[in-house]
Amino acid sequence: MSPLLAAVITVGILIGIYGVVAIALNFQYGEAGLINFGVVAYFAIGAYTFAILTAGPPSETALDQYRWGFNLHPFLAALVAGLVGVIFSMISGWPALRLRGEYLALTTFAFAEVLQSSLVNVRAVTNGTSGFAGVVQPFRDAVGNYNLLILVAALALLLFTMWFFQRLVRSPYGRTLRAIKGDEVGVTASGKSPEKYRREAFFLSAFFIALAGVVFVIWLTLARPTSFGAEITFFVWIAMILGGEGNNWRVLAAISGLIIFDELIGALPLESVEAVQRVNAGQIFLTGLLFVLVLRWRTPRAGAI
Amino acid sequence: MSEALRFESATRRFGGLVAVNDCSFSVSSGELVGLVGPNGAGKSTLFNLATGYLAPSSGRVVVGEEDTTNVPPHELARKGLSRTFQTPVFFPELSALDNVLVAAHQELPLVSAITGAWKRESQHQEERARMLLRRVGLEQRASVDSAELSGGELRMLEVARQLFNQPSLLLLDEPTAGVAPHLQENLAELIRSVHEEGVAVIVVEHNLGFLLGMVDRVVCMAQGSVIADGTPTQIHDDPAVIAAYLGGPK
Repeated sequence: MSPLLAAVITVGILIGIYGVVAIALNFQYGEAGLINFGVVAYFAIGAYTFAILTAGPPSETALDQYRWGFNLHPFLAALVAGLVGVIFSMISGWPALRLRGEYLALTTFAFAEVLQSSLVNVRAVTNGTSGFAGVVQPFRDAVGNYNLLILVAALALLLFTMWFFQRLVRSPYGRTLRAIKGDEVGVTASGKSPEKYRREAFFLSAFFIALAGVVFVIWLTLARPTSFGAEITFFVWIAMILGGEGNNWRVLAAISGLIIFDELIGALPLESVEAVQRVNAGQIFLTGLLFVLVLRWRTPRAGAI
Repeated sequence: MSEALRFESATRRFGGLVAVNDCSFSVSSGELVGLVGPNGAGKSTLFNLATGYLAPSSGRVVVGEEDTTNVPPHELARKGLSRTFQTPVFFPELSALDNVLVAAHQELPLVSAITGAWKRESQHQEERARMLLRRVGLEQRASVDSAELSGGELRMLEVARQLFNQPSLLLLDEPTAGVAPHLQENLAELIRSVHEEGVAVIVVEHNLGFLLGMVDRVVCMAQGSVIADGTPTQIHDDPAVIAAYLGGPK
């Protein structure tokens, strides 16, 4: 396979995976007004749950620190991973969803940090800093180019996610969420419980984000604590703000743009360490500048002011 | 006649302040009552006690036959207790029509959104919402973003939404504030017609010309307590009401 084709497939997979996360986040924030700065936690939960459930028993020779591997069927493991994402969102959402705005943002951020720290330290479950390598890839032997299969899976999940949330947004359910964002008291006076809607929006999004984590870990065959830092959260947030919250297609365009930009820079033939450092700094600078410019000139949604 | 709402020694304290102090009175089904009193008398707090937004520090609130002292506000709204707010409440991201439709009920809203079951009811609900917009004079504004409506229009929009579920009791908090004089006449007519349909209505209002010509009974509050309860004429001539609220020659 030509390097160009391989690069295109990689970009497609990344767009699929992060696209799902961005669309789910866009539902939480763009429709329900929930500020979740702990997105990466649900992503990590999906990835780790899949890795643990499909892992074989620990081996003495490989110095494995985890105690339980379940050898579960990958499809079942993927479904359970999504549900564990929901359960984790319930645990983190129970105290957090009583909070508003920046308080919710801080609490979700703290949860993600606690989770990442647990991935390192609860070694009996997560295998510590080594995490899991050689994660099961279903149908590995059935196809020649496995990344192509991952690409199809990632894009299928993306399309399903978009269809699903679009369906909610266009129904009375989405209308109620937008109403809650505008004025909770008015929704209460209309006979609906804003808390219930907020919780559901939070849990549903967590399910899809966890599934994206499953695809991510199958692709990389690697689950390590360092792969799930806050930068994933902020990457998806930047894409959502650039695209304009509430609009799935534009958010998807924004995340695609950022990923392509990232991959193009990664493909630059750099000779020295210094050059790599300069380019990395330049990339951060450009992303930040773009962010500021978009925030300055974008048109606010109706009612945003 | 059966009771729509009853306060039994309802009291609400905020720290050292007693906003509502040992209030007891009831409103019959289908009655149209005005609630007046100086600013800070406790009228809005009383509304909040009745609709579940605040719990009484002591005493009880009874709606129909049921003690609703600890029932959350959205459940009370479902039970037919509808209210508006001093500052009109609306949803700026939605059109006027959708603002009204927020009150439309769906069985298992999330499931029906996924399965599409909500579509069975939607046409019927939309017709009802349009009918209510026509009733409050906003039929031409149905598809306009509510953020573009004027203050007076927003008040009418709120009333339309709060009528959607055919309440048995409607509480209006200063409905004429910010509404132009010619629209106030429409509003008075609307309140009268809602009342004629058998809905009990309680109106908090400072615009006494508007209120006293419309209601049969007025309750006057001052400093958290009910100081008078009678016909508009009785209230108008009551020395305690004159001293606390109306002012004028001593």
